[in-house]
Amino acid sequence: MSQTLTSTMPPENGFKRASTVLLSGDRPYLLYIAFALLLVVFSAASPVFFSVDNFLNIGRQTALVSIIAVGMTFVIVTGQIDLSVASTLALSGMTAALAMQHISNNWVLGAVVGIATGGIVGLINGTLTTHLAIPSFLVTLGMLGIARGIALIVTDTKPVLITNQEYWDVFGEGYFAGVPVPVLWTVLIFAIGAVLLHGSTFGRRVYATGGNASAARYSGINVKRTTTISFVLTGALAGLAALVLTARSHAARPDVAQGLELDVIAAVILGGSSLFGGRGLIVGTLLGSLIIGVLNNGLVLTGVSSALQVVIKGVIIIAAVAFSKK
Amino acid sequence: MTLEAGHNHVGAVAVKGRDETLIKVTQVSKKFGGVHALKGIDLEVNAGEVNALLGENGAGKSTLIKIIAGAMTADGGSIEIAGREHSFKSPAESRAAGLAVVYQELSLIPSLSVAANLFLGREPRNRLGLVNRRKLLRDADEFLDSYGFPLDSKARVSDLPFAYRQMTEISKALIGDVRVLVLDEPTSALTSGEEEILFSAVERVTARGVGVIYVTHRLKEVFRISHRVTILRDGRNAATMLTKDVDMDKLVAEIVGPNHNGLKTAVASDNTLSQPGHGNGVSSSSSPIFQLKAVSNDRLRGVDLEVREGEIHGLAGSIGSGRTEILETVFGLRKIKAGTMSMDGKEVSIKSPYEAIAKGIALAPEDRHEEGLILDQTIEQNLALPRLKGLTRYGWFLRKASKAQANLAMQTLSVKAPASSVRVKNLSGGNQQKVVFAKWFPPVPKLLLLDEPTVGVDVGAREEIYGVVRDIARSGSAVLVASSDLLELMILCDRISIVADGRVVTTVNRSELIGEEELHRLIQQSHSFSKELS
Repeated sequence: MSQTLTSTMPPENGFKRASTVLLSGDRPYLLYIAFALLLVVFSAASPVFFSVDNFLNIGRQTALVSIIAVGMTFVIVTGQIDLSVASTLALSGMTAALAMQHISNNWVLGAVVGIATGGIVGLINGTLTTHLAIPSFLVTLGMLGIARGIALIVTDTKPVLITNQEYWDVFGEGYFAGVPVPVLWTVLIFAIGAVLLHGSTFGRRVYATGGNASAARYSGINVKRTTTISFVLTGALAGLAALVLTARSHAARPDVAQGLELDVIAAVILGGSSLFGGRGLIVGTLLGSLIIGVLNNGLVLTGVSSALQVVIKGVIIIAAVAFSKK
Repeated sequence: MTLEAGHNHVGAVAVKGRDETLIKVTQVSKKFGGVHALKGIDLEVNAGEVNALLGENGAGKSTLIKIIAGAMTADGGSIEIAGREHSFKSPAESRAAGLAVVYQELSLIPSLSVAANLFLGREPRNRLGLVNRRKLLRDADEFLDSYGFPLDSKARVSDLPFAYRQMTEISKALIGDVRVLVLDEPTSALTSGEEEILFSAVERVTARGVGVIYVTHRLKEVFRISHRVTILRDGRNAATMLTKDVDMDKLVAEIVGPNHNGLKTAVASDNTLSQPGHGNGVSSSSSPIFQLKAVSNDRLRGVDLEVREGEIHGLAGSIGSGRTEILETVFGLRKIKAGTMSMDGKEVSIKSPYEAIAKGIALAPEDRHEEGLILDQTIEQNLALPRLKGLTRYGWFLRKASKAQANLAMQTLSVKAPASSVRVKNLSGGNQQKVVFAKWFPPVPKLLLLDEPTVGVDVGAREEIYGVVRDIARSGSAVLVASSDLLELMILCDRISIVADGRVVTTVNRSELIGEEELHRLIQQSHSFSKELS
């Protein structure tokens, strides 16, 4: 296929054409290549990297970023941003643990309370953004502080222990068919996200809202509601991520996951979503999350210092966005 | 080169007379992928001459202008300016050679004053290196006066009506050593009074020996302003003629080409104005589908309006009169504070476009790029937007049904595109406007609202759009058209309401009007009438 393409074109245009195909936002081919390249490099550099165990390990470590990144894709495609997800996660974990400690030590109750807390934070973000017309960057920057602060205040910065075995198993430590549950939750959320964004009518509204909000409004689309729902979705998924994290650590801590929002946003942008809205694919976000996960894992395995790891990640993110711009 | 030196240069050209060729474009060609947009175009402009560049959308006008402006490079051919061959690699190079282009999209900074915009980046400085505000305003006033532009140099651009912003844009382009001025549809958003100011300005420019390339879709202007006409068709020169040697019929024939019969009808020539009856001959007995009674809000001050079954009803008035705001209010984009709206005799309340659409109301907005279309999405995606609810089963989007509906709509309006999966931004202006229309039928809306339905649309597509509008009215729908193109209202409408200062001043039957000029007089009168009221 690619051979016939190149042969019909003059040589100097061949490269140009190939690069436009690779860099165009529709199908993130460049991302596939980058991902494959990462796998090759780390496999060569570390003998333990290329193994099923390590890949499941990566999946488990990346679950928090991946799950929230699905919601963030919706928010970014509508042309907004949510900086508060890490704080939302911390707060949701606290409310879930407190509910099980004080009301009833039932894992379903904990799950509902945790996800609902995230959803409510998202609802507040979305409502303030759309109805008061405050840029979401500022609303969620404020919420980043507020949610984290509340999480710290409720127990006076102390962690809350979780003693429910079923809760540990369902969200954090269990295995199903040999696969750790955090990986299964990730796969489930990506499947739902893909159906919602690419198959449902709501997905059409999301793209229209981010593509041109006033044209969407003139076409009878409720832009405010679409945007708000995207924020609620992201908040609820931050709540789910909180369940995964607290189930693994058997406790909710108010100071967890600081700076996680940057990894989440990086995953979505690496995945080819446009910060200006209107463009993005769930499969791109999946690859973006995996690249972040593989990077974290591979850099550790190859013995790169943690300080240098941060620098390398930053360089890769800027490079990826620079490439995808043209 | 300083302004002073520029004057001398232009003066010298003027002395040499009109025969000196300022710009000579020879056999310029351009390909986009497999599409041959330009297949060898010739164009010449002499000193002090206006050359009207005409052609349907997709004929190659925009591409040619972009090449001349240096925004695009040609694949072949040459551009000579004052005898020297140039190949522009950037707009700056083109500008340095004395070419100034005024595009349809404006490039002003809205938060700055007219004067600051005019001298942006070349402000007069005082001894401390700071901007000398007094001199800036004085220079700006002097400059504006020299062309007769009625602009207040202290006014902030964002406070100006659109027409005056455009005037500012044109004045800005004229500053410096300009030999050839390119105007890309400068009158598309202007009313007739404002057009005259533009024309007189163009005349002053040519009197100084500058050559003007004037792109337009309004053929009447060609006779008013141009000396020469260059017509493009399918990327080729269809004809180059002196304006005094042609008439309207010949012009239209050359633009549409030999394969288009029956298009010389209503669009261009004035004699069709005497034909009565446009919809299905609406009689005053047919029932009103839609009524506004004393409707007021932030922009409207008691609008009474009634549109009947099968009627095409026009809204005429100058910019800012409330034309567009009436449509926006009906469509639920503006809240009603007082008064009532009724459909089929029943009072209705419409608070959002969604509710308006549910009641069978459709709006094709004026600004298709901002409000009508999502340029980055495909034709199918755009056409699905107002119909999402009908294309959904259990939350699932019915992709196949949407595609089928898109293909049907494209066929109905003969949208020229290879498939419904083409992105809208890759279509020509006329085809984009057809997509805006296609969003709303089938099924036919009960009340169709049109705001400037043919701005930036070429002669052929314009006639097709008129045909569609008439068909819709004939099927029993009511149509409400707001337009600054009075000829368009005369051609389309059964009745015309004159709008001024947020109210309908009077409504006249089309058959009672003798010509466009009479409509224009009515608008002028309504203005003073409305002032007396308030």
